[in-house]
Amino acid sequence: MTDAVVYVVDDDRSVLASLESLLSCEGYQVLTYESPKDFLAARCPDLPGCLILDVRLRGASGLEFQRELARAGIATPIVFITGHGDVPMSVTAMKSGAVEFLLKPFRDQDLLDAVREGIGRDRRRRARDAEIAALRVRQAALTPRERELMPLVASGLMNKQIAAQLQLSEATVKVHRAQIMQKLQARTIADLVRIVDQLAGSGT
Amino acid sequence: MLGGEDQTETSFRVTRPQLAVAGGLSLALVALFVATMPFARLPTHNTEILVPAYAAATFVLEAMTAALLFALYCARRYLPLLFLASGYLFGALMLAPWALTFPGVFTGFDMDAGLQVTAAFALLRRLAFPLFVLAFALAPRREITTNASLVAISVCVAATVLIEATLFFRDWLPPLMLDGRQVNLLWQVVPALAMMLYAVDIALLLWFRRSALGMWVCIVLFSLGIELLLISYLGGGSRLSVGWWAGRLYGLVAMSIILLVLVAQTTLVHVRLARTVAAELRSREKRLTAMEALSASIAHEINQPLASMVTNADAALRWLSKAEPRIDKAELALRRIVEDGHRANGVVRGIRTMFTKGTRERAELDLAGIVAAAAEEAARDARHYGVEIAIEGEGEGEVPPVIGNAVQLHHVLRNLIENAVDAVRAGPLRARRVTVRLSQEAHGEVHVCVADTGPGIAAEVAERLFDPFITTKPGGMGMGLMFCRAVVEAHGGSIWASANAPQGAIFHFSLPVAILSVTDAQARSGVEEKAR
Repeated sequence: MTDAVVYVVDDDRSVLASLESLLSCEGYQVLTYESPKDFLAARCPDLPGCLILDVRLRGASGLEFQRELARAGIATPIVFITGHGDVPMSVTAMKSGAVEFLLKPFRDQDLLDAVREGIGRDRRRRARDAEIAALRVRQAALTPRERELMPLVASGLMNKQIAAQLQLSEATVKVHRAQIMQKLQARTIADLVRIVDQLAGSGT
Repeated sequence: MLGGEDQTETSFRVTRPQLAVAGGLSLALVALFVATMPFARLPTHNTEILVPAYAAATFVLEAMTAALLFALYCARRYLPLLFLASGYLFGALMLAPWALTFPGVFTGFDMDAGLQVTAAFALLRRLAFPLFVLAFALAPRREITTNASLVAISVCVAATVLIEATLFFRDWLPPLMLDGRQVNLLWQVVPALAMMLYAVDIALLLWFRRSALGMWVCIVLFSLGIELLLISYLGGGSRLSVGWWAGRLYGLVAMSIILLVLVAQTTLVHVRLARTVAAELRSREKRLTAMEALSASIAHEINQPLASMVTNADAALRWLSKAEPRIDKAELALRRIVEDGHRANGVVRGIRTMFTKGTRERAELDLAGIVAAAAEEAARDARHYGVEIAIEGEGEGEVPPVIGNAVQLHHVLRNLIENAVDAVRAGPLRARRVTVRLSQEAHGEVHVCVADTGPGIAAEVAERLFDPFITTKPGGMGMGLMFCRAVVEAHGGSIWASANAPQGAIFHFSLPVAILSVTDAQARSGVEEKAR
């Protein structure tokens, strides 16, 4: 499992050391930071990961840091740990997308499960991102005219209907359609619909 | 036991504004005295009708003073108070027969008790008060359990017996008066004796300098001395002369001094009480009361090493149960468990000293001693960072005592000073200075401020500064200032922060001074205990 990294941010060095030991024993690559600032300043490896975050951090709270990360577009899943938690705190954390909210001292299995879940999420997200990135590359190969046609084809219109709408010949539309299918590597219309959906869903 | 403990140990605990008021009052009295001198011997006519009014006013003043002093005794149980209260009560009781037998006042009642009786009552009244004050000055500063009402009843009985005896033996009384207005030569002994007693009392009270109350009694005696001068010498010893009346006026002022002081102090106490109650309500309105917050932060502080221990133990087990056990890794984890165990113990010990070591004990304290001790302790650590801690303002024995818990207040100061040291220790070397200043406020409060030249307080935390879990320090718990506020408000004081110029922060707190400090021996022992 060395293809995954766990970041730990806690201002208690002893807690950092214990978590590093536990997680490295489970085969994770572990990077520890004493403050959110250190974490932001560090260069993170391009690997699926998970962030273990203490709720109470220097000056600011871990919950605020969670929002800050979200604003900065850092989507690493977060597992919160805290020495004093209450219900509103955990609700806020979970609503903002935290994987888990654990009270210190926690059972090691709970933490490891949460970390596994977080890394799983991150891996899926990365796979999705990679797929979309690949699609974008393919999309970039389309000509403007083809790009104009793509949503019409995906919406299930016949060549004849498209030709009428854009005032083109049916043969031209047919050529464009074949080009689009080929460039986006879509074998069927269903494939094309999925690809267009993905591209639309990820924003432009 | 003359004056109780070692006199050098007991310092003058009279506040400066009090001294100023007392000094001003004395000067005013002397000025009035000088102004009266030229007219002192002029007789007045038909002023007998004023005698009952004067007597009634003095009686009410003295009786109220006695009642307040007895009440104060009930609260504090200090033996000297009992003597002073008895003195006032006895004086009040002697006034009634004096006025009733005054020649030419209650003529309608046809109760001529004889020429010498009125003077005899005046004599008893004149000499008894300084004797009671003598007892007040010399009585050991002990706490006793004697019932105040029993003492008051005994004084009443004794006074009644004396009055009855005087009336019974009226024909055998010494010839103090020549007629209804002029005194005999024999009378001259009485003012001389009284003056001597006043002087002895004043000397003793000033020598011991035990309490603010003692100082006020000095002023009373001083005014009584002037009264006597006017009545017996400048007034030519003749009743109802201008000097005689001026003297009576002095007596009235003198007898109201203690009453006014007591009433003023009581009013201040009520104000403070109201403030404390308001502060209490305010803290209760907060979602987390001080205790809840405290327990939460203690739980956090202990959970931290506990979490680390559990995780380390889990890690060690996992390292050992691997296909190829890693003893080295397991050993490291176990060592960390040992460290965490000691750390948890340290937390528990700290909490114990903070909360179990007699937090309910309240005593009169010299805040200056606590400031000095806390600054000295903090200075040891501060020196490592090149931070200098300076103490300014009043020193030991220069501010009135406050009532409180030495251990808790010591922690408050340590907290504030350590915060200040943390704030400046990263700054430029010449700015690494923390100033602790102790001063006395006019409104019966002692004010302490801890100033630093650090980065100051950020606007976003300024409002929540004293809330739990607000911290700007690495590894800070965010409970220090919250603890400080809880302690200071429990002492009836207030705590706040302000900006320092040109930069930095100042933390202030003020505590009410003890009401009419009757003792300070306890304060000393409190300070010393804490300093150890």
